[in-house]
Amino acid sequence: MPLTCSQLSVLYGRRKALSGFSLSMEKGEVRALIGPNGSGKSTALQALAGLIAPSQGRAEIEGVAVAAMSRRAIAKKLAFLPQQPVAPEEMTVAQLVRQGRFPHVGLFRSYGRKDEEAIEWALESTGLAGLADRTLQELSGGERQRAWISAALAQEAAILLLDEPTSFLDIGYQVEVLDLVHRLSRERGVTILMAIHDINQAIAVSDRISLLEKGELRFDGEPARLAESGLVEKTFRVRGTFVEVAPGKPPHFDVELTKLRRPAS
Amino acid sequence: MSTNVPAIGLPSRWILPAAAGLVLLSFVAAIFLGIVDLPARDVLSALTGSGSREARSIVLDIRLPRIVTGILAGMQFALAGLLLQTITRNPLADPSLMGVSQGATLTVTLFLLFTVYLAHPDSYSVNELPIAWLPPMGMLGGMVSGGIIYILAFRLGLSPLRITLCGIAIGAVLHAIAIGLIAGWGSARIEIILEWLSGSLYARTWDHALFLLPFTLAGLAMLPLIYRPLFLLRFDAAVARSFGLSYRWQFSVVLLVSCGLAASAVGAVGPVVFVGLIVPHLARFLAGRYFPLVLPLTIVLGAVIVTLGDLIGRVAGGPEEVPIGVVTALMGVPVLLALLRKVP
Repeated sequence: MPLTCSQLSVLYGRRKALSGFSLSMEKGEVRALIGPNGSGKSTALQALAGLIAPSQGRAEIEGVAVAAMSRRAIAKKLAFLPQQPVAPEEMTVAQLVRQGRFPHVGLFRSYGRKDEEAIEWALESTGLAGLADRTLQELSGGERQRAWISAALAQEAAILLLDEPTSFLDIGYQVEVLDLVHRLSRERGVTILMAIHDINQAIAVSDRISLLEKGELRFDGEPARLAESGLVEKTFRVRGTFVEVAPGKPPHFDVELTKLRRPAS
Repeated sequence: MSTNVPAIGLPSRWILPAAAGLVLLSFVAAIFLGIVDLPARDVLSALTGSGSREARSIVLDIRLPRIVTGILAGMQFALAGLLLQTITRNPLADPSLMGVSQGATLTVTLFLLFTVYLAHPDSYSVNELPIAWLPPMGMLGGMVSGGIIYILAFRLGLSPLRITLCGIAIGAVLHAIAIGLIAGWGSARIEIILEWLSGSLYARTWDHALFLLPFTLAGLAMLPLIYRPLFLLRFDAAVARSFGLSYRWQFSVVLLVSCGLAASAVGAVGPVVFVGLIVPHLARFLAGRYFPLVLPLTIVLGAVIVTLGDLIGRVAGGPEEVPIGVVTALMGVPVLLALLRKVP
C-alpha cells in the first residue's frame, strides 16, 4: 500500500479538525476527497504529508510512519501541493519547477541529466514549456496554478496530494488538470489523492471517493455507490438527483437551485 | 538558462565582471584620494615599500586598514541583510530587525559606563578608552539579543512574522535602555558613543580588519551550504517542507549566519545597518529575474557601497569627516525610494 492512515485525529487548539480518519490507497488509484468547507479535507492532506502532527493515529508511506521520515525522504515519495501556495513574484517558472528536484539533489549534488529530463517532462506535461522563462507575476492565475503542479510533478513522487488543484482555473484548464491526473495514474501508476469541490468532476475522475463532514469520514467507496447513498444531498444540505447521462458512464449530480428561487409575492 | 537577461539589459555573464571591476575601481580611488593631498606617485611608492615615512604611514597605516575593514564590514552587512530579507520574506528587514545593532549599542554603552565613566565620575575628563574591547563587546551584545529574539520566536513557532514582531519589540526595548543611559551622561562623554552609534570607519586599524576577517571567511564558507535552502526558504513553510526542506533547521542556520555576520560587523564599525537594507535591493534590481546573481552581487556591492560611502565622507567632510553611517543613509534613501517605485 503506497499510502495509508488509520484513526488519524488532528487538534487545532481544542477544536478537533479531523477525528478518526482512515484511508488506504492502492497503487495508481485516484481518490477524491470531498466535503463541505471546513470539513477537514486540507487538514487530512496536511497530516498525510506529515506537515502537521496528528494527536492520534498515524500516516504511513509504504508501511513506514511518515512522522519517522525526514522531509527529504518524504518528498522523494510524496509530493504535496497546498491550496494557494505563495512564491516570490520575480521567480521564473523554470526556477520554481527546479525546486521540485531538491529532494533528489539535496544540498550539494549538481543537477544531472535525469533531473533535467524530469524538469522538462514536468513543464511539458503542464503545457508550460513555452513559458519557462516567464516570471510568476507575468502569468495568469491558471498558468500559475499549472506552474505549481509542474513543480510537484518534477519531484517524480509516486504519491501526489493535491489540495483543490482546479480552483481558479477556467473549465478548459480544469479538464486539462483532471486529464493530467488521470494520465499520471494510468500511465505512470502515480497514486493520487485530491481535495476537490466539484462533485461531478470528483465522480468522473476518481476510482474511489472519501466524503468528510465535520472532520469525520462519512463515506469511503466507489463513485456509483456514493450516488446511491444519498449522502451528498445530506452532507452539503442541497436537493438534487443523480442522473444517468449515458450507459456505463458515471452519473451526473443535478442540483436544484431552490435557494435561488424567489419567494412568491 | 541562456535567455535570462537581467533588468539593465547586460547579458548576465557581464554583470559580475563589471561589478568586480567596480570593486577594484573604488578600492583604487579610496587609496589615492583622501583628506591629506598625497600625490599619486607618493602613494604608489608607499605601496611598494619605498617613499617617505609620512606617505607610508598615511597609506599603509591609515587608509589601507580602513578600506579593508570597510570592505569586509560592507560585505557582511549586505550579506546579512540579504539572508534576513530572504528568510523573513520581508523586504524591509535589516540586521536591526534581529536586535543586533540595538543589542550591540546597549552592550557597548554599558561596557563604557562600567569600565570608564563610573571609575571617572568627572564628566569633563577625557579618558583613555578601551577601544580594542568595543568590537568583541558589540558583537557579543548583538549575538545575545539576536539569540533572545530567536528563542522567543522559536517558542511561538518560528514563523517569519513572529521573528519580525519579536525583533521589533525586543529591539525597541534595548534601544530605549541604551538611549536612556546615554542621555543620563555628561555632555563630553557622549561624543565617543555617538561616533560609534552613527557607524564609522574613522581610525580603524589592521586590528579591526583582522577581527572581521574570520567572520567574513566563515560567512562565505557557509554559502554553499545554505545556497539551495535559500531558494526554498523564499516559499512559505508548507511549500518549502513539501519540497523536502527541513524548514526550522535551515531557517535557524541561515538566521545564525546572518546574525553572526551582522553582529561582528556592528562590533567593528558600529551600526552601518542601512547597507544591509539597501544593497540587497540594489542587487535584486540589477539581477532582475536571474536570482542566482543576487547573492554574489550583494556581496560585491556591499564592499563597493561602503568603500565609496566612506570615501565620500572623508573627502566631502574635510577634517571633520562625515561618518559612513550618515553617508550611506543619505545616499541610500533616494536609492530605496527609486527602487520601491518598482514595487507594485
